[in-house]
Amino acid sequence: MAQEKMLSGCAAAAQGAKFAEVEVICSFPIRPYTAIMMELARMVANGELDAEFIHGEGEHAQVSVALGASAAGARAYTGSSGVGVTYAFEVYSPAAGGRYPLQMAIADRTLDPPGDFGSEHTDAMSARDQGWLMGWAATPQEIFDNTLINYRVGEDPRVMLPQFVCQDGYFLSHISDKVILPDLAQVREFLPPYKAPHPLSPLCPVSHGPQIRPDQGAPMDAQRAITFLEVPKVIEEAIDDFNRIFGRHYDPFLEKYKMEDAEIAFFIQGAHANTCKAAIRHLRDQGVKAGMVRPRWIRPWPTTQIAEAFSQVKAIGTVESSTSYGGATRGGNLIHELRATLYDMGNRPLTTSFMAGLGGDVVLLEDFYYMAKILIQMVKEKKTHQLVYWVGFEGE
Amino acid sequence: MAIKVPKDREVPFGAITPAPVNQQELFITSNWRVFRPVIDHEKCTRCLTCYIVCPEPCWSFNEKEDQMEWNWKFCKGCQICIHECPADALSAVPELDFEDGVFRLEKPF
Repeated sequence: MAQEKMLSGCAAAAQGAKFAEVEVICSFPIRPYTAIMMELARMVANGELDAEFIHGEGEHAQVSVALGASAAGARAYTGSSGVGVTYAFEVYSPAAGGRYPLQMAIADRTLDPPGDFGSEHTDAMSARDQGWLMGWAATPQEIFDNTLINYRVGEDPRVMLPQFVCQDGYFLSHISDKVILPDLAQVREFLPPYKAPHPLSPLCPVSHGPQIRPDQGAPMDAQRAITFLEVPKVIEEAIDDFNRIFGRHYDPFLEKYKMEDAEIAFFIQGAHANTCKAAIRHLRDQGVKAGMVRPRWIRPWPTTQIAEAFSQVKAIGTVESSTSYGGATRGGNLIHELRATLYDMGNRPLTTSFMAGLGGDVVLLEDFYYMAKILIQMVKEKKTHQLVYWVGFEGE
Repeated sequence: MAIKVPKDREVPFGAITPAPVNQQELFITSNWRVFRPVIDHEKCTRCLTCYIVCPEPCWSFNEKEDQMEWNWKFCKGCQICIHECPADALSAVPELDFEDGVFRLEKPF
């Protein structure tokens, strides 16, 4: 029987892994994601979950263990936060290139400047170009669901790629909300057991991860690029099935909030979107036609869907929770790809970016009102004054 | 949008290949060799030191011919065998001295 529980983001991720019946888990502690492994360790110890639970000696080892387990044909699960995410960096590209559909939960955390443990997206965003599927959730329910959806998409024979399932540290990982835990039978219908096409097995020996020549590298890159062209179709199918089986109403790629008649819009990912929606309701009470688009995937980037969602909007502000020091706008990362997405549109909207939610900062309602004011001004003057605003840090 | 890998540049999915094989013909990796170890079978005492020290391993003993055999496809030219040979039977000869030297190939094999 499906049941409802109050779960934090971390507990929801652990439940997701349990319902996905993961076979190998590799842990190493770093807050805030650690609570996922605490939950899973408890489940394994209590006999709720039949999985190998391995303590890695670091994050590099964690992802390596998960890669090895996946190569042997197991459904593998690991995770990390902040500098842990970056310590494992070397293994990300081989995991994608070798086509191992392991899953890594990331409860994001600021990279050390030094020693900050608050939420910021920079840790995971740094790894966005390594050939993994990737996206942020906004609620504990979505984390649970994304855990299942990512395994389903990643293990699809047309895809075979690892997945980063991201959530905001603390704002989501340690905030409880109602989560519907489904029947295991429903999950099994949605997510069949993982069948590795060429597992490491003495019965049918294969060789993984050989040395290749430089002229064989580009074709390997092209393999992944071709796969990423296919992924959106697989995501659509998976979300269709998910919505049918679990009675949910996910858009495959974007959460669109009050976008029907929106003139100004926020482009934001992760849990700060919840505050954003509250701000939009208040703004609309005052007659401001505001809306929000939240990407559920960063990789693959939903290019056509984003362009479509913003086709009628006059000004967009990205809310950046990650840094791109010295980048094109001297701000965050979302704005780069948003501008690339919109560039060829006939009547393209004005765009700017807001640096907010960095280092663990809460993005307050007041911050969204400040951003809205700038967007309204841009619409009025039909002009972008600045490519980036550091919210709360703007000089004269 | 379409991306296509030309036929002559195709690689196996995920670079996963059948095993066990004596050598992985799909991934021949010695085109950066600068010096080639050349053996003097008269001096060679068949002590198998080269067989032991080669990191690849590219030296094997051919019992029928009663001599050591060198695998040109995977030898990177590290010269450890030359350095370790107690009988001084190996010498480093530049690849350019050979008709089939890897430097002379238009394509890497």
